[in-house]
Amino acid sequence: MMTPGGSGRFRPLPTAMYAGYSGTASSWVAKTSVSASGKRIQREMAELNVDPPTDCSAGPKGDNLYHWIATIIGPLGTPYEGGIFFLDIIFPSDYPFKPPKVVFKTRIYHCNVDTAGNLSVEILRDSWSPALTITKVLQAMRSIFLKPEPYNPALPVITRLYLSDREKHDEVAKEWTLRFAK
Amino acid sequence: MISDSITNASATAAPSARDFGKKKRTNRTAKLKQSKLGLRREQWLSQVAMVNKGGKEEMDANRKPGSEKSDQRDRPVVNLDGHQRGEEDDNNSGANRHESFMESLSNSPNSILSGMNSIPNFSSSSSSGSGGSCSGNITEEEDADDDGCLDDWEAIADALAADDEKHEKENPPEFSEEHEHENIQQSACESDVAVSRKQKSNQAWRPDDELRPQGLPNLGKQRSSPVMNFHYSSVAVPSSCPICYEDLDLTDSNFLPCPCGFRLCLFCHKTICDGDGRCPGCRKPYERNTVKVETSVQGGGLTIRLARSSSMFCRS
Repeated sequence: MMTPGGSGRFRPLPTAMYAGYSGTASSWVAKTSVSASGKRIQREMAELNVDPPTDCSAGPKGDNLYHWIATIIGPLGTPYEGGIFFLDIIFPSDYPFKPPKVVFKTRIYHCNVDTAGNLSVEILRDSWSPALTITKVLQAMRSIFLKPEPYNPALPVITRLYLSDREKHDEVAKEWTLRFAK
Repeated sequence: MISDSITNASATAAPSARDFGKKKRTNRTAKLKQSKLGLRREQWLSQVAMVNKGGKEEMDANRKPGSEKSDQRDRPVVNLDGHQRGEEDDNNSGANRHESFMESLSNSPNSILSGMNSIPNFSSSSSSGSGGSCSGNITEEEDADDDGCLDDWEAIADALAADDEKHEKENPPEFSEEHEHENIQQSACESDVAVSRKQKSNQAWRPDDELRPQGLPNLGKQRSSPVMNFHYSSVAVPSSCPICYEDLDLTDSNFLPCPCGFRLCLFCHKTICDGDGRCPGCRKPYERNTVKVETSVQGGGLTIRLARSSSMFCRS
């Protein structure tokens, strides 16, 4: 008699409190449950802010630490010169042990980037090492701008043109840069 | 004696120096502290002369030629000259008087180092240099209105006298002894003395010197810093795991799973071994085959503990 009434009276208050806190509590739990990768990503973010690689910038897209957005400015002396290329970086929950997923959001005429923006870069696949950081990934991205890897192509059509007619390739790449990346 | 004549000359130097000081009195409130230092110096000189009768002549000779010499020159030069001389002077006498502690600091490393040839030269030069710079700062303050504020601050000087006497009674014997033969040189040639004094000031206490202060830093302390630095530079174990950025504990620090030398914590190593099992540093697989060797050997009755503890984690 007494206890049901008491609990009935007091029950709404804790549930209301719980409901009010549930949103923040769940997000907080979500971060701590993968604290190993979270700590690592946070540390990488700090390092990136202190010493960003040339022509590159990166940071979390919103408040999700595992979804970053990065920009790479086309290096001088390449057909991508002057273009700003956006990339999505998605960290897996077991991040340092699995490579981040990097996708070009800006269209680019490049033999290592397919039409969906996926990259055929070895360090993001089999050659990934947990010792690599996002800074090094961005440096690798920039290096394929400077020197495409035709023997590991995502689009063999572009590779063929790159190897056979470099001038034509550069011309098309420059045009794409002008159209999509500026 | 020669030093007597110098003392007489210095007596005439005082009034003109005061006039110069009056010109600068517009900003004297800002220099109150410096004036105090200057006063202390003057006070000490006069009192040492009385307390230490035997060393009086050397004292005055050592101190006063600065003002004497400055008097003989033009006014603008006076300040400059006084400054220079003060700095040189302070390297031996100033530091002695006001900062017996400082003096011991600046002198001691050399004495230690002179005995210890094994210690590299840079430590001696740096320590003596720091001592010199400290005393230099003191003199710069003093010389700004060293002589000029004498008349203004005579009253305060009396108040300070009690405090000064403590320092003075400690210092005079070693001071007079130390610079006795310098004064002879000084009378011969002023500039030469300046140089020799500087050297004098940095001259080391010999270990057998009876006047060597008790409070000199001991040898071990001086030695420790270079040795420690060397120690730290030689050890190249990272403080945190390069994979997860957690601090490496003692076990992790001693854990060397790969011949390439890439270190990581045990947790990350386990995670990697659960996956593809390649070393993050060189991308070569961790040596799994050694585990097989271990088991086969154990079957044969021989127990061979593997050098690499990594084998324990690669078993699965």
